[in-house]
Amino acid sequence: MAKYGIIMRMKKLRIILAIFACNLVKKLIRLLGRGGTDFPGRVALKICPDLLGHMAKGVTTIFVTGTNGKTTTSRMIEQVLADSEISYFANKSGANLLSGVTAEFAAHCTLSGKCRYQYALIETDEAAFKHISKFVHAKAVVVTNVFRDQLDRYGEVSHTLENIRLGIEGCPDAVVCLNADDSLCTSLADVLPNEIVYYGVNVPIYVSRVFELSDAKYCIRCKHAYEYRYVTYGHLGGYYCPNCGFERPKPLVAVTEVTKSDAEGSDVTITVGDTPYSARINLPAGYNIYNGCAAMAISHVMGFDLKVASLALGHFTCGFGRMEKFHIGSADLRMILIKNPAGCNQVLNFLSSISEPYVFTACLNDRAQDGKDISWIWDVDFERLAEMGDKLSAIYVSGVRAEELAMRFYYAGVPREKLHVEKNYDLLTDALTAQPLPVYIMPTYTAMMDLRGVISKKYGFKAFWE
Amino acid sequence: MELKICHLYPDVLNLYGDRGNIICMEQRLRQRGIDVVTTGVSVGETLRASDYDLFFIGGGQDFEQEVLLGDLANGKTAEIKAAIEDGKTFLAICGGYQMLGHYYKTWDGQMCDFTGALDLYTEGSKKRMIGDYAFSFDELPGVRVVGFENHSGKTYLGPGVSPMGTVLKGFGNNGEDGTEGARYQNVFATYSHGCLLPKNPQLCDYILKTALQRKFGEADLAPLDDTLENAAHDYMESRLLS
Repeated sequence: MAKYGIIMRMKKLRIILAIFACNLVKKLIRLLGRGGTDFPGRVALKICPDLLGHMAKGVTTIFVTGTNGKTTTSRMIEQVLADSEISYFANKSGANLLSGVTAEFAAHCTLSGKCRYQYALIETDEAAFKHISKFVHAKAVVVTNVFRDQLDRYGEVSHTLENIRLGIEGCPDAVVCLNADDSLCTSLADVLPNEIVYYGVNVPIYVSRVFELSDAKYCIRCKHAYEYRYVTYGHLGGYYCPNCGFERPKPLVAVTEVTKSDAEGSDVTITVGDTPYSARINLPAGYNIYNGCAAMAISHVMGFDLKVASLALGHFTCGFGRMEKFHIGSADLRMILIKNPAGCNQVLNFLSSISEPYVFTACLNDRAQDGKDISWIWDVDFERLAEMGDKLSAIYVSGVRAEELAMRFYYAGVPREKLHVEKNYDLLTDALTAQPLPVYIMPTYTAMMDLRGVISKKYGFKAFWE
Repeated sequence: MELKICHLYPDVLNLYGDRGNIICMEQRLRQRGIDVVTTGVSVGETLRASDYDLFFIGGGQDFEQEVLLGDLANGKTAEIKAAIEDGKTFLAICGGYQMLGHYYKTWDGQMCDFTGALDLYTEGSKKRMIGDYAFSFDELPGVRVVGFENHSGKTYLGPGVSPMGTVLKGFGNNGEDGTEGARYQNVFATYSHGCLLPKNPQLCDYILKTALQRKFGEADLAPLDDTLENAAHDYMESRLLS
């Protein structure tokens, strides 16, 4: 017994030490003016490998995963939690690997490892999900969608699906919210024992759509080509397999009407069961309608007041590269983080829908977090930019692979004289802030971090890390 | 003058920006006043190889490869083989390259019979060969092709084909013998996506010339302003090779 007592005390000491070290290292890194590192969490895990399990005990957890829309969906759910006056914390989007999630829990715990909040809202990278869910048992999981992502990291979409399945396997008691319109997503229901709640969009969301390659053309069950009653975007919509009968399930939580969609947001009706809720979605672009619907599905599963939830969609704040606005002098800049062709095509759908002229900027890096393989830029329908004619006044191109991206725009039909390659962020920022028109900036992840660094230094924005 | 391009399985073999190769070939022909028509031929559609001058086959996912094997056996393999022997020009990349070989043997020993149009075969390995890479192209001395490779299959060439060139950086066919790609008749096969042709304009023109010569007996491609193309090429060349 005495020996057991010593082991327990050692364990407790280890936890205290790990949490202390994690938070200390994090503070030191901030003092040095750095952000976005997973080092503090790695230190904690070195000291106590199962630290996350101790800290997450007794905390009601919601996981958000999927290829696109994780961060926006999380911020929407976060607003629902805040408006419902629930005691919660949420991880930042950059901290979505095991080390990052561990550090986030550590920051919200007492030194003995007791979480100070009742709820945790955790956005998780698809590949890291299974490592996190090994320690954290969620009450609900929402999968936003499954698209072809950075191929050098995740491989094929079937690998991403398998990663998500393994992640959910760690949450046997969780209710799983799946995107009914995504055949890859709904195929998870075949292999999961969990209770499933479907959410989806019952009506088309774009007046006109870019040309997109489908990431799921053939039936995942029988390999026959799918047919569609309608398409919302990409491979999402009212799919069915004429051969084996696999089809879009009827969603319990559904967008039944889109009444307005403009450069500031969308007005929709989201119906849960038989009850319709009017909602204003505070971010433009059709894909954010899906994120709003996903947030409503989670709210339903968690038993939150759905009236409160629908109102929350109208005033949540997202920022950090999700249509994030910067006003510098008289310049109006908007930053939209891009990661893969599906996300990028949706930005182009949005740009086609706005009516006023604008300046477009794209920054392409090829570091690990951006995806080392940039071939996807050829899968994006940038031809759409050339079709916009005078509405697109100029394109600035930057980032490590600026030359290749500029060439892509040229082959898309954008005239050479509209293309400006500027790899120096200082000079780029000067050029952009001098624009009289709205500027839409589309950077990959590390390009965005570099650009933010320059903007914050030049214009005295407080350092902004997530 | 008109060139007819056949894009085989455009909706299935489209994993790595392969569409860019078609866009590039089309534009470089049109800028020289040569007409071009591209036709996609996919699963379930009949391929009449004699209708086309240049064939493009890209790379795809394993899941979809199974769909293709059945379709190829259903008539397309014979057409492809006949077109190759007839001197038609082919550009095959990654999965499309492997498919022209005899077979693919997975790392755990399963055999997948391919078209056998080219004397080469591929064996799966557990390690993925992935990253930016560069290789020389034997028929254009001094030209260094840059691209991105991502394959777990190791391809070995038989005596009936020659490599496209020698790996200067990266893995190439198998990461062992220093070869990259395969050449046979007017077939160009390579692991290089990334996308290949736009930033390797000399290679693109060489392939186009091959197809034009086969059809018209001669081909003279006027030089183009390749400032943007060369900038993209030279950036990667210097990053990899200096």
